[in-house]
Amino acid sequence: MARARQRWLPALLIPLALAVAVLFGSVQAGATVSLPPKSADEVLAMIARTEVRALSGTVEQASELGLPEVPAVGPGIAPGTASALELLTGSHTARVYVDGPFKARVQILDPMAERDLVVNGGDAWFYNSADNSATHLSVPVPSRAELRESLPSASPRPDMPTPEAMAKRFLAAIDATTEVTVGGSSSVAGRSAYRLSLNPRSAETLVDTVDIDVDAETGLPLGVQVRANGQDEPAYSLAFTELNLSTPDAGLFNFTPPPGATVTEKALPAKPVPSMPAPEPDSAVPGPDATPEAFGQADPKQHGATVSGEGWGAVVALPAGSAPAELMSSPQLAQMLQPVSGGRALTSSLLSVLILDDGRIFVGMVPLDRLQSAAAAQ
Amino acid sequence: MSAEAAGISSVATAGPGAGWALLASELSVLFRRLRTWAMLIALAAVPILIAVAVKLSSRPATPGRGPLFLDRITQNGLFVAVTALVVCVPLFLPLTIGVVAGDTIAGEANLGTLRYLLLAPAGRVRLLLVKYAGAVAFCFAATATVAASGALAGVVLFPVGPVTLLSGDTISVGESALRSLLIAAYITVSLLGLSAIGLLISTFTDVPVGAMAATIVLSVVSQVLDNLPQLEWLHPWLFSHHWLGFADLLRQPIAWTSFGENALLQAGYIAVCGALAYAKFSNKDVLS
Repeated sequence: MARARQRWLPALLIPLALAVAVLFGSVQAGATVSLPPKSADEVLAMIARTEVRALSGTVEQASELGLPEVPAVGPGIAPGTASALELLTGSHTARVYVDGPFKARVQILDPMAERDLVVNGGDAWFYNSADNSATHLSVPVPSRAELRESLPSASPRPDMPTPEAMAKRFLAAIDATTEVTVGGSSSVAGRSAYRLSLNPRSAETLVDTVDIDVDAETGLPLGVQVRANGQDEPAYSLAFTELNLSTPDAGLFNFTPPPGATVTEKALPAKPVPSMPAPEPDSAVPGPDATPEAFGQADPKQHGATVSGEGWGAVVALPAGSAPAELMSSPQLAQMLQPVSGGRALTSSLLSVLILDDGRIFVGMVPLDRLQSAAAAQ
Repeated sequence: MSAEAAGISSVATAGPGAGWALLASELSVLFRRLRTWAMLIALAAVPILIAVAVKLSSRPATPGRGPLFLDRITQNGLFVAVTALVVCVPLFLPLTIGVVAGDTIAGEANLGTLRYLLLAPAGRVRLLLVKYAGAVAFCFAATATVAASGALAGVVLFPVGPVTLLSGDTISVGESALRSLLIAAYITVSLLGLSAIGLLISTFTDVPVGAMAATIVLSVVSQVLDNLPQLEWLHPWLFSHHWLGFADLLRQPIAWTSFGENALLQAGYIAVCGALAYAKFSNKDVLS
């Protein structure tokens, strides 16, 4: 009998050892490192001075906005329409390759599919493997002098879905009422980082705090977490899970549409280099967006949008007809919307959207009643 | 029966090479069985059916609908293998693996041959290892059969050219063959956990059909659970979670993360199920 019990021993020990290894691994991943203390201003200066020109890494984006889960794939969902909505729920993984301001590639890794954006000088390609379609955009190349002026830190393109671009949008929202603190250290993608916390301290906005993990070595923002009032889990997070600061393989930025793909040519109107956009509440959740329009035209002002209010409580108003019709008529959106007086509204823990019956759209990181009063004022 | 009897007589002469002899006899018994061949032929028929159906249909497949790459088969026959693997992974492959893995110990017990196998001083641990190795060999054979028959059907029925990856880049035919091998390896690794579960269940019963059914049901249950968003915390621990992750091998550059995570997860299942199977089997009263 003793031998019989002995034989059951490995059956007990091996699962136990595995459980310990898993626990130990997760504890180690969350372990904090000790860094020399820095003030908030010093960390802000580090971000401004960052000189990372090239990187390859994997970013993970997760949204927990308290909205109903919407299937991103399934019958009756046209490719592309769900993309804007899927950013509001669920999570995404993307690989990002950047080499200077002219070359970049973003790969959104969907299950059994991939969406690619390749920017190489004046050419931008958008490729979707799900329907084997490619879109070519000719982007005017700014001169070197122009570029130096608008991008002093020679940072990667600001409209890329990197934690750096996100962080800069939130940093631009810092105003007199915002409390900026350094909340110790953290570990992101195996690198030690300072955790910079922005607290709006304004009752106008749904944002509770924004945490930005800043690489201790280079000053590159490695992750952004947005917490909403009254929610324990981060409402939105975008962070590197892998990061390599060496120059990516140049072949990655050469794209030729594969044989058999449907190719669409699009020309962008000449416009200045996309400089750091002002903090627009609706661009607070861009994430790895899916359409070439979203990559190329990060600035909603082009659609004739007007911004009322400042900083965290800003409300963006879009005129009628500025939202894509296929998005407005998609069943997923209808599922998320609730009827309110004068239109329909989407309320989440971080973001509110008000669609009026006359087609105007109001968006903001504010409670719904503020959108309604902004709509009434116009 | 005659094949099994021959196998036993060859290992009756014990020695350090007894394990290898046992493995050789196990493999020869497995692959000389009519049932094994029937399952492999059924698997080989899947890509052929897909290729013929696409060839005969007058309507071109709509991009974005149906299994992966279905719309691109007419342009490049090499996609038949990938499409067939996508179709086979959720049901057909687990079905055949369940039959082989569930039969390992229970089948011998049911036939009454387990007693004779254990008469040889090969030891129960060794028998367990040999049985598992046999199941693993079948995993590879099954996956390779689908891939090879798919490639063959594609080359015969459709034009062949450079292959487009998910990232939109194209690779040469030679490199695509290499990637197909990698995918076959990925799927073989994916099925190791299920084989270990089948082996474990097989040690608990003398009725092989019961063990087979239980293994197949578990593979379906695991996939159903993997599709419920409410159980998101459980998903990374389900053995079927990474089954369709081989698409990551079709990106440029290859994303190895899912390969590594999958291998680690399957290793965990092998360790736990292996330990439980050892405990159960070494304490088992072999009466028949």
